[in-house]
Amino acid sequence: MKAILIDDEISNLENLRTLLEKHCPQVNIVAAAQNVNDAVNAIEIYLPDLVFLDIQMGKQTGFDVLKALPHRNFEVIFVTAYDQYGIQAVKFAALDYLLKPVDIDELKTAVNKASQKLAAQTQTSQLDFLLQQLKRPEATTSKIALPMQSEIRYIALSEIIRCEADNTYTFFYLTDNEKILVSKSLKEYADLLKPNGFLRTHQSHLVNPAFVKSWLKEDGGVLLLASGDKIPISKPNREIVKQALQQL
Amino acid sequence: MKKTIFTFLSFIISLSIVSAQKGIDFSKKYSAGGKLLMSVDSGAKNVYYANVFPNQPNTSFSYLPDVNNLSIQINFRKNINIPSFRYTILEDDKPIVVNQSIDSTKLEDTDAGGDEEIFSSTFLGTFAVKGKVITVLVYSIEKPQDIEKSVFYGNPIPKAEILAFSKRTATEEGVDYSWVKHPKGKTKLTFSEKDDQITIVKDKSAIDYLYYTSIIDKRNDKVIFESTAWQYGGIVDKHEFLPFIDIDRSIFKKSGTYEIIIQPLIKWKTSSKEIQKYITRHTLSITLKEENYTKKDLLVYGLIICAVFGAIAGAILTYVKKKEVKKLMQQFKEKEIAKLQLNSVRSQLNPHFLFNALSGIQNLMNKNEIDNANKYLSKFARLTRNVLDDKELISLAQEGKLLDDYLQMEQLRFGFKYKINQAEDLDLENIEIPSMLLQPFVENAVKHGISQKANDGEIIIVFNKKANDLVLTVSDNGNGFDPMKKYNGLGLQLSDNRIALLNSIYKENRFILEKQSSSEGTTINLTLTDWL
Repeated sequence: MKAILIDDEISNLENLRTLLEKHCPQVNIVAAAQNVNDAVNAIEIYLPDLVFLDIQMGKQTGFDVLKALPHRNFEVIFVTAYDQYGIQAVKFAALDYLLKPVDIDELKTAVNKASQKLAAQTQTSQLDFLLQQLKRPEATTSKIALPMQSEIRYIALSEIIRCEADNTYTFFYLTDNEKILVSKSLKEYADLLKPNGFLRTHQSHLVNPAFVKSWLKEDGGVLLLASGDKIPISKPNREIVKQALQQL
Repeated sequence: MKKTIFTFLSFIISLSIVSAQKGIDFSKKYSAGGKLLMSVDSGAKNVYYANVFPNQPNTSFSYLPDVNNLSIQINFRKNINIPSFRYTILEDDKPIVVNQSIDSTKLEDTDAGGDEEIFSSTFLGTFAVKGKVITVLVYSIEKPQDIEKSVFYGNPIPKAEILAFSKRTATEEGVDYSWVKHPKGKTKLTFSEKDDQITIVKDKSAIDYLYYTSIIDKRNDKVIFESTAWQYGGIVDKHEFLPFIDIDRSIFKKSGTYEIIIQPLIKWKTSSKEIQKYITRHTLSITLKEENYTKKDLLVYGLIICAVFGAIAGAILTYVKKKEVKKLMQQFKEKEIAKLQLNSVRSQLNPHFLFNALSGIQNLMNKNEIDNANKYLSKFARLTRNVLDDKELISLAQEGKLLDDYLQMEQLRFGFKYKINQAEDLDLENIEIPSMLLQPFVENAVKHGISQKANDGEIIIVFNKKANDLVLTVSDNGNGFDPMKKYNGLGLQLSDNRIALLNSIYKENRFILEKQSSSEGTTINLTLTDWL
């Protein structure tokens, strides 16, 4: 796998290079760049399979590199230190990212995933989706990328009635009666979707308030959805759900 | 006054012989109004002469109940043009003399008894007045409108009879009258707000002007109304004008008993018992009823009352609501404060192990254990990031991972064993708890429990489930501590605070902390009730 490393700090570049050479021998580092221009040039010259892309690069961002490229025929693994900006968008696009200092196990997992995706040729659309997301103000996302076994689905939030946990998997119940299984925990989607108004009513349930029909008093509190589903509200969440529904 | 007496005396002397056979005592002359004088039967008592009345100018009324005959004279001052005068005499409304001029041949001078003034005088006649009314009208043709009228009343004055009361009530169309006809002795009247006037109707007589009407409040015997002004109108059922008096209803200030008295305004000179037979008394029992409303009034008043009550209720509601909002705001504020405190407590937990962890990594680097240094650095980063992320809740899986990271780092410093056991039926990925809830207890177990025990030391962490409660346990086999003693460890103290704050935020759940310590070890149980 041809790879290019992009980070504005030389020590980070060296560190990543060391770790990749030691733990991920399948990665062939062909170039490294410390600013957006160099990065764009390097990518256009070397046509890499994989790009390790730092998000915060001085006054510019790794996203600027992506925007400058007409063709993005490569996998991207974002690398960020402590960076709220953009991470939400990356998560919505279901793209991979690493946190600095890089954990060796996480690095190995990310590299393996990237090589699988390269075989499946799916990431281009995710990057397009990411750049669209970035144009929007935060927390006004209208769509989310849901990685399924063989494809990435882009689902409008207004189509999601509710999510239900199944261990480390999550079921998405959609308005067209479709049920999608995604291999990420409900907790992760709860963190993503709560800023968009979704309600965590229960350890196993996340609900789109737009589909809440009424609050039933049975069993200490149950939400009746327009779909007819009854969703339990657990005690620790009762007050927060009540407040949220009152504000609707 | 002397002059008058002397005048009369001279008359008496000069005329007494003439009329002696009629039994008239000419020695007594009574003023009879205007230019007239009269003399009556010698034995007659009760001569009520020259009564005058309000609203009856030029009328003189003599009541002569005991008189059989009377003689009437007329006196003229010298400067008066006597030929211009005429007189008319009526007997019971029948004229017996009409527009008669004075017979100047019979005029005699009469002196004024010591006064210089000399009168010209003559007799108009002697009349049988018993059971009759003699009326004399005197006027000058130069001023025919100025008629002097003298009434000699030989009938008994009748007691006034109240023919009716009427009560006037204001209505939408105007007014309405309700009647009490021929009342006897006592009349009950009820006045509502709409009743504005009552009317007393008297029987008609030629001498209505005699009668004086008063109303007395019997509670204090004060006269609250008096009138001599009779009006005339076609009322009651007779087709003639009857005298009546309108009385404003407002004179009756309170419910109670009132008396109507109608009496002739005669200057009585007799016993009050005698007078009583001329007086009409009638008792009025008045009830003032304020709440006798019409439907429209009821509607209007109802609306007003509703509006008032509505306003009051509104005010109360607004007040209550304001208070409620205030209370809610207060609660919200308290919660916010609790959350802020919680955050500060959470972030304070960390320096204790952060720097120790860094020194542990430094040690690995110095020993050239690169992979281990990488491993612990990643763990350190995860722990630090978790603190900085300041997330309120993390999943049990994450909490377990952080505790694992933490304990691995502490193992760098102290040789001990640890286990993290999680009940199989717990959904670790999706059950959330406040982040770093157990960390201080684990930290305490390491530092004060087993740090001296080296490789024999053991820490066991258990995530368990009891019915709907989540039970988190941290136990060690250290030397223990006195749970009653306030422990000096900052982490534990902060944890107590934190649990109190959590209890104030999660009202539906309880966070119950149990500490058991002996020389065999220490066990901390943290139960989150109804958490699952």
